Amino acid sequence: MMRWLFLLGTSLFWIAVLVLWAAARWLPPVVERPPVAAESRLTIDEVARHASPEDCWMAIDREVYELTRYLPEHPSKSGIVEPWCGKEATEAYRTKMKGRPHSAEADNLLTQYRIGVLE
Amino acid sequence: MRHPGPLAIPLLATTLVGLTVLWAFPEDLGFWRSVGIVSGWAGCGLLAASLLLMIREARLAAWLGGLESMYRWHHRLGISAYLVLLAHPLALAAAGWSEAPALGWGMLAPWQQNWPVWLGWTALLCLMAGLAAALSPAIAYARWRVLHNLLALAILLTLGHLLLLGLDYLLLWSPLLALAFIFWRFLRADLGLAARPFIVARVEHPAPAVVEVCLRPLARPLAARPGQFVLAAFLGGPGFRGCGEYHPYTISAIAPDGEISLGIKALGDCTRHLQEVVPGVAVRIEGPFGDFLGQRPAGPAFWLAGGIGITPFLGVLRSGPLPYPVHLVYLHRNDADAAFRDELATLAKGQPELALYVVACGDRLPDLAAMVPQAIALSGHDCYLCGPPGLVAAAVRLLRQRGVRPARIHFESFDFR
Repeated sequence: MMRWLFLLGTSLFWIAVLVLWAAARWLPPVVERPPVAAESRLTIDEVARHASPEDCWMAIDREVYELTRYLPEHPSKSGIVEPWCGKEATEAYRTKMKGRPHSAEADNLLTQYRIGVLE
Repeated sequence: MRHPGPLAIPLLATTLVGLTVLWAFPEDLGFWRSVGIVSGWAGCGLLAASLLLMIREARLAAWLGGLESMYRWHHRLGISAYLVLLAHPLALAAAGWSEAPALGWGMLAPWQQNWPVWLGWTALLCLMAGLAAALSPAIAYARWRVLHNLLALAILLTLGHLLLLGLDYLLLWSPLLALAFIFWRFLRADLGLAARPFIVARVEHPAPAVVEVCLRPLARPLAARPGQFVLAAFLGGPGFRGCGEYHPYTISAIAPDGEISLGIKALGDCTRHLQEVVPGVAVRIEGPFGDFLGQRPAGPAFWLAGGIGITPFLGVLRSGPLPYPVHLVYLHRNDADAAFRDELATLAKGQPELALYVVACGDRLPDLAAMVPQAIALSGHDCYLCGPPGLVAAAVRLLRQRGVRPARIHFESFDFR
C-alpha cells in the first residue's frame, strides 16, 4: 500500500511538472501589463509619501512600482521587504540572499506592478 | 504503562500538524498560494510526527501501543508528508499559472530560481530517493540503512530552504522539532546511549542454525516480562566481533537475578555470524518492547509457533506453571531443526494445563486446517501466533474463518524497516 501510494504520487508529480513545462513552452504568453498612464513620471519625493505596508511604492531601476497588493505574497518575512516601501530599492532588489539577484520570474512579476518611471 | 488507546498516535499527529498549520496559516492570499503554503507546513508537521515515532524508548513505545504500531504509523505519516510536500511546489506553480503559464513553470524551473528554491528542490529529491530506497524490499539491510539517511538529509535541507526564505524563527519550530527527534534517535538508539550493558554468560545450540545466548546484566537489569523482545547489538569479545547493529530478539527466559536469554536463528548476515558467539562478548540491550503474551487475559489460549517463533512461548513456559489451559502447536521443518523440542516435552510433563503438539512439516506448507482446533474448541480462546509472516497470515485467515474475532488474535511481525 505504502509503495503503491509512493509510486502513484511520484508519477503524478512528474506528470504535473511536465505539463507545466510544456504549457510554458507551447502556450502563448498572456502576461498583461497594467495600463501605464502615458508613462507617468514620478519623483522620489512622491515615492517617499507611500512608505507603509498599507501603501507601498518602490523605485527600482528608475521605474516605480506600487507593491501594496503584492507584499503579503512575498515569500520572505515582512521585516525584509517593508522597510523599502517609499524608497529607492534597486540595490536591495539586486542583492537579496547574500548578493544574489531576484529570479527572472520575479522580474516578470514585478512588471505587473509598474506605475511609472522615476523622474 | 498502559497506552491511552489506538487513537493516541493519530491524535498526536493531528496536534503536531494542526499546530504547525495554525501557526503559519496565510491570510489574504490567493487560493493556490495559500494551498502551497499550507501544504508545505502540513508536510513539516507530518514529518515531525513521523520522526517522533522513530524514537526507540521503552516507555514511549509502551505508551504509544508498542514499537510495531509506532513503525506502522511512522511509515503512514512519512508517506503522507511526502505526498503533501509534493503538492507544495505544484500549488505554488499553480498560483503562478493563474497569472501566466510561463510564470507557473518559472516557479519550478531551477535555472530561473535561487538558493531557497534550489534547497527546496534538493530536499524534495532527497525525500523521493530516500523513500524509494526505504520502500524497496530488495535492498540489503546495510545499504537500506545508509540510503535511509537521505531522509534525514532532506529535513536538514528543508530547514535551510525555510531559513533562506527569511522565515521567522518561531515558524521553524516543527522542522526544528523533526531535527531534534532525529538527533534523539541517533544518540539514544543508534549510538546506544539508551542501551544497557550486558555480557554473554553462556551459549547453547538447541538446533543447527539456532543459538540461545544467556546475557548477564552489568548494570541495572531489565524489567521484562516473558514474551517481550529487546533490541540487541553484539559487540566484541574474546575472538569474536559482532556486527554491532541493533536487531530485535525475543526473550526466551528471564532469571530472577536479571539474566535474560535470547533465541536467535540464522536469518541474515548478522544472525548467521552470531551462531559463533562466545561467552565474554559485550552486548548492548535496548528495551524491553512489545506486549505479546505480556498481559494476556486469564483464560484458555491457543498458541501457534513456527520455527524460532517458539521463543516467546518458551519464555512463558519456563517462567512457571500456566494458570489456564493452553493448546500449543509447534511447527518445524524436521527433527534436526526442532529447537527446544526435548525441553518442551519435559516442560509439558510439569505443566498440567499444557497440551503440546510438535509437528514436522518438511519443506511444504503445513496443513493448518488439520492442526488448528475447530471453531467450537476455539470458543473463548485467545490465539497467539508467532512465526514466519506467511504462516502467521495463513493462520489469521483460518482463525477468522473459524469465527475467532480479530481482537482475540494476537501476533507481532517484527517488520522494523
